[in-house]
Amino acid sequence: MTKRFNLGSLSIGTVLTVFAILTFVPFYYVIMVSVSDPKMVQEGKLILWPRGFSLYTYELIISNAQFITAFTNTILRTTLGVLINLALQLTFAYAISKQYLPGRRFFIVYIIITMLFNGGIIPTYLIVRETGLIDTIWALVIPTAISTWNVILLRSFFENVPASLEESAKIDGANDLIIFLRIYLPLSLASVATIGLFIAVMHWNTYMDAIIYINRQELQVLQTFLRDMVVQMEMAATLGDMSAVQETSSLSVRTAAIFLSVLPIVIVYPFLQKYFVKGVTLGAVKG
Amino acid sequence: MLAPKNRRFRLGRVLWKYRYLYLLLLPGFIWYLVYRYLPMYGLIIAFKDFNFMKGIWGSAWVGWKHFEFLFSYPDFYRIVRNTLLLNIYELLFAFPMPLILALLLNELRNMLFKRTIQTVVYFPHFLSWVVFGGIIIQLLSPNDGLVNQIRELFGLTPIHFMAESSYFRTIVITSHILKETGWGAIIYLAALTSIDPEQYEAATIDGASRWQKLFHITLPGIRNTIILLFILKIGTMLDYGFEQIYILYNPTVYDVGDVLSTYIYRIGLQGAQFSLTTAIGFFQSFIGLVLIYTANRIARRFSDVSIW
Repeated sequence: MTKRFNLGSLSIGTVLTVFAILTFVPFYYVIMVSVSDPKMVQEGKLILWPRGFSLYTYELIISNAQFITAFTNTILRTTLGVLINLALQLTFAYAISKQYLPGRRFFIVYIIITMLFNGGIIPTYLIVRETGLIDTIWALVIPTAISTWNVILLRSFFENVPASLEESAKIDGANDLIIFLRIYLPLSLASVATIGLFIAVMHWNTYMDAIIYINRQELQVLQTFLRDMVVQMEMAATLGDMSAVQETSSLSVRTAAIFLSVLPIVIVYPFLQKYFVKGVTLGAVKG
Repeated sequence: MLAPKNRRFRLGRVLWKYRYLYLLLLPGFIWYLVYRYLPMYGLIIAFKDFNFMKGIWGSAWVGWKHFEFLFSYPDFYRIVRNTLLLNIYELLFAFPMPLILALLLNELRNMLFKRTIQTVVYFPHFLSWVVFGGIIIQLLSPNDGLVNQIRELFGLTPIHFMAESSYFRTIVITSHILKETGWGAIIYLAALTSIDPEQYEAATIDGASRWQKLFHITLPGIRNTIILLFILKIGTMLDYGFEQIYILYNPTVYDVGDVLSTYIYRIGLQGAQFSLTTAIGFFQSFIGLVLIYTANRIARRFSDVSIW
């Protein structure tokens, strides 16, 4: 009995370890290649640990003007995106969290419908165009300004704040605006920070909107910059003409660019991990 | 039995009484109107020959022309088939993975080990598809990719994985599994914590084995979560992630890799076939709605789960 139990635990542990290694290997490989000597990499040496340690590729990528522009644009869109997303989502979620608000059900249905049916890529593109956002940084911020999922999450959070707080503030003569700003917002700082972090990661990582709405080179974001590098490499490999690849998109430089673009995520990951289980659970129970 | 004038008066009073709350609602309300509802209105160009000069409303009506063209068009069946196949494979191979992972993690008693595994497997979810897909492409590269280097060690010839149609679906599904399984497990782990531990204790005393506990306590305990996620998945059967496909595919694998969203982007925006691709998008949204509605109806009939 005991022996069988141990065997079971052992195999579970093994399966999990193997899976964890598989998910981690790709990222590990990138780091190892990026700090290896570019010559070794070019010769096609098998890289399982750093070979001939070198940070030359990092110097090369950091001094690349396009990379800097893309990095700056990504920081800009992320900052603007977090601020605007939070402002719109918090205000809307707060208002529909009030059970006594006439028309509340209408507004909830109004947003749920958009989760079930949407206009699709082309009509949305036409509206973004009509509203004059094409080829501006706002095209990356405004069309994704509200996630209905987040609104529902924040609404259930606001609903869980004891109503007595609001009632006593109303007796003291505070209006809804003041109650929202002075009582509810300070109380929900932890949730706001969590959702803000998720919005930031979304903005940092997404690239479909940049591909669709942005053509100007000086507005490229990090993800489109990386994609161009990868695609250039792919084409060269397909054509079998590796000489067409510039030094700035060699494997070593690409891995360095990938690592630098992931670095901010690595830095916030511990904070994300601390909160996301809570966030997902909240959505699952209340959604 | 209020007179119209009276009723208007009451509406005004309600609006005034809750003016600050409605003020807070207003920006979001307008945003939804412009960026969610206007595009739905824009779907009418599927029944028009859209051109930029005349705009959405001004373009000439052509009725079902674009739909008739679509249904007689081999490309359309190819991309619908590609999208459906990828989703079916995902449902078969990727959908059960988070559940399995959560059940395995749930069996662990060593908390440090459990947390380490979780930290590692959640991480790729936070990488962009450009980064993760780019790494996958790199690992599979014919010249200096790790997989082919290992193949060469065993005396095998390198394979150009990304340029072979026969490998494409496997690559898409595998990369999806590696990237999203950990994240997907969280929701099951949360559901698992709601099962009363006393049930397990009682079962242990009765001499139940690990498998018996799994089938009689654990799985029934998270049944609703599984059904809920299944309904949501069914609702997206005609939708495959643009960002994943767009980074992984290339012209040599268009025959199996082209899905609805990438096709709409390439032919619609780059090729300026606005009306035709809007018709495709309309078809996609409509089928999605039918699917999720049907799945929800069925789920409600056989369990108490419903997404609305």
